[in-house]
Amino acid sequence: MGFSIIWYLREFIRGEWLKNFFFAKTAPLVDPPYFRGYPALTGKECTHCLSCMMICPTPGAIEVLREGETWTPHIYPGHCIRCGLCVEACPEDVLDVGRVLETQHRDQTEISVRYQVTVKPEACVRCGNCVVACPVNKEADPQLGATGTSANDEVIMKIRNGNLWVIHDEKCTGCKTCEEVCPTDAIAIARVAEGTQEGKA
Amino acid sequence: MIHEDMICPFCGCLCDDLVIETKGTEVVRVDNACTLGSHKLMNAGKHRLKGPIMRDSGQWRDASYEEAIEYAAGILLDADRPLLYGWSSTQGEAQGTGVSMAELLGGVIDSTTSVCHGPSILAIQEVGHPGCTLGQVKNRADLIVYWGCNPTEAHPRHMSRYTTYADGYFLENAFRDRKLILVDVRKTETASIADEFVQVKPGGDYAVLSALRAIVRGREDVVPPTVAGVTKEQLLRVAALCKEAKFGALFFGVGLTMSPGKYKNVRNAIELVDELNRHTKFTLTPLRGHYNVYGSNEVFTWMTGYPYAVDFSRQIAFYNPGETTAVDLMARKECDAALIVASDPGAHFPKKCLEHLASIPTVLIDPMHTMTTPLVKCQIPTAVTGMDAPGTAYRMDGVPIHVKKFLDLGYPTDTEIIGKIFEKVKEVRHP
Ligand code: SF4
Ligand code: SF4
Ligand code: SF4
Ligand code: SF4
Repeated sequence: MGFSIIWYLREFIRGEWLKNFFFAKTAPLVDPPYFRGYPALTGKECTHCLSCMMICPTPGAIEVLREGETWTPHIYPGHCIRCGLCVEACPEDVLDVGRVLETQHRDQTEISVRYQVTVKPEACVRCGNCVVACPVNKEADPQLGATGTSANDEVIMKIRNGNLWVIHDEKCTGCKTCEEVCPTDAIAIARVAEGTQEGKA
Repeated sequence: MIHEDMICPFCGCLCDDLVIETKGTEVVRVDNACTLGSHKLMNAGKHRLKGPIMRDSGQWRDASYEEAIEYAAGILLDADRPLLYGWSSTQGEAQGTGVSMAELLGGVIDSTTSVCHGPSILAIQEVGHPGCTLGQVKNRADLIVYWGCNPTEAHPRHMSRYTTYADGYFLENAFRDRKLILVDVRKTETASIADEFVQVKPGGDYAVLSALRAIVRGREDVVPPTVAGVTKEQLLRVAALCKEAKFGALFFGVGLTMSPGKYKNVRNAIELVDELNRHTKFTLTPLRGHYNVYGSNEVFTWMTGYPYAVDFSRQIAFYNPGETTAVDLMARKECDAALIVASDPGAHFPKKCLEHLASIPTVLIDPMHTMTTPLVKCQIPTAVTGMDAPGTAYRMDGVPIHVKKFLDLGYPTDTEIIGKIFEKVKEVRHP
C-alpha cells in the first residue's frame, strides 16, 4: 500500500513547498535602463506625417489613428519587434522607448527619408497617366489635371523631349499613386531612408 | 524654332497640346506626345520619297509631278470602274475633292473604315449613336468601359487626357471617383489599372453583351452560371457598376467590330447602352485609329449621305457595304484602276485583293515608300498633314480640329495634287 492516495498527498503537499510557492520573495521585475520595450507616447502632438508608419519594418505594428481632432500613433505589441525605428523617424518626438530619444538628442542624429522616382524608358509609353494623377503635380500645376498638359517645370515629372523626365523627385511624398495608375509598370518609387548626424553627412 | 499647341497627326485622339522644336527641316524635340506620336513626329522629315516615281517595264524611274498627275488622270478616265481608296491619313479638304472627283468619274470612293470600324457604322445606321464629345466624358463620366481595345497601346494619352485620369469638372476627387472596366479576350496592360477586368472567350462578346442586357432588364434569371467564360457573379457586378454610375462612357475598338458577330456586336453594345440609359446616362464612342479616319466618314456623309464605300456608277450615290467596299471590289476583280490615297492596303488587304491591285493601273499618293509601293505603277509623294501641311481632321468623337504645319519641305499637299488630277479629269469629262 506504499503508493496509496494518502501517501501521495503526504508526499507532495508539504507546508514548506506551498509557502515557498505562494510567498516567494524575489527582487521586483524592473526593466534595465538600456532595455527597449514597446514605444510609448511622450505626450507631444502628432502631426500625422506618418513617418513612423513608413519606417516601420513590421506590417501592422504601428498605425496612426484619428481621435477627434488629433492623431495618435498606436503600437500593436503582437506585431512590434521593438526596433525603435519609429521613435527615430518621428520628427516631433511623439514616441519614445528606452534611451532612443535621449541618444538621438545627444548625438543630434535623425532619420531623413526621401523618395527616388525611377522610370523604365523601354516600358513607358508616355501616356501621362502618372503625370496627371500625381497629387503633388496637381498642386504644382493647377491646369495639368484637367488638360493633361503640364505647363510649368514645378512638377515632379513630365513628358518632355519624347521621354518621361523626373525633374523634382525631392518633392515626391511617396504616395505611390503613379505606380498604381501606370499600366505598364514603368514607374517605381523607392524610399531611401538615411541616418544623418548634424554637421556630418 | 519652337511651335506650340501643335496637333499630333497619329491617332484619333488628336492631342492638341504638343510642343515641337525644329531646326531647319529637322525636328529636334517633341514635348507632351506619347511614344507613338513623338516617334512619328521626330521622324517628320525623314524617309520621304524625293519626287514622283513611275514604273517603266518593271523598273522604277523618277518622274515629274505633271507627268504623274497626267498619268493618274489618264488611268482614272480610261477606267470603267475606278476605285478611290484610302483617305484616312489625309486632310478633310482632300477627302472632299476626292468625293467630287469620284462623282464625276462615276467611280467608287471608299475609306479604310471598311476594314476597321465599318461594322460600327452599320450598327449605328441600324440603331443610332448614343454619342457625346470627349469633353463630356472627361467632365462627367464616373464609369469608363473599354471593350475590345487596349488604349494603353493604341491611344496612350486617351486615359490621361479624356477619360479616367483627367480631372473632371463635375468630379471632386478626379480619378478616385471614376471606375474603369476593361473587357477583352486578352489580359493587356490596361487590365492592370482596371477596377474590373472581364476576360471574354474569343467570339463571346455578343453573348456577354446580351447577358448584361438581360441583367440590366431585371432578367438575371435567364443568365447561365458562365457566359463565354465570364462568371455570372462578375456580370452582375459589372451590370451593377454600370447602373450605379452617374454617367458611363463605353469605348470600343476593333476587338468588338472585327471579331465574330461584327456589326451585330456593336449593335448589341449600342442596345446595352440604350438599356442603361433607362437607369442612368450612358454613351458609346468608337476608338478610331488613324487620326482622320473619322473625317473621311464625316466628309463622305455630308457630301454624299453615306459614310464610306460610296459608288457613283449609277450617277447617284449608292452604298452597299460588302458590294461597294474596296476589299470586295478587288476580290471580285471589278475595279480596273485605282487611286490609293494616304493608306497602306499592301500591309492589310488579303493576298487575293493585292494580286488584283498589282494587275491594274494604280497610282499611290503617299509621302513614303510603303508596303503598297511595290504594287502600284506610280507614286506621288505629298506633304504630310500635320507636319508640312495644315488641314482639317476629325477627332474620334467627331470634333473637327485644324491641324497645323511646322515644317516646310516643299511638297505639294494632298488637296493640291488631287485638285490637279481633278482639273485634268474635268478637262475631259465635263460636270
Ligand atoms: S512620425 Fe510622429 S508625428 Fe509623424 S505620424 Fe508618427 S507619431 Fe505622428
Ligand atoms: S509617389 Fe506620389 S508624389 Fe511621388 S511621384 Fe508618385 S504620385 Fe507623385
Ligand atoms: S503612367 Fe507609366 S507608361 Fe504612363 S507615362 Fe507614367 S510611367 Fe510612363
Ligand atoms: S495619344 Fe494619339 S494623338 Fe495623342 S500623342 Fe499619342 S498618338 Fe498622338
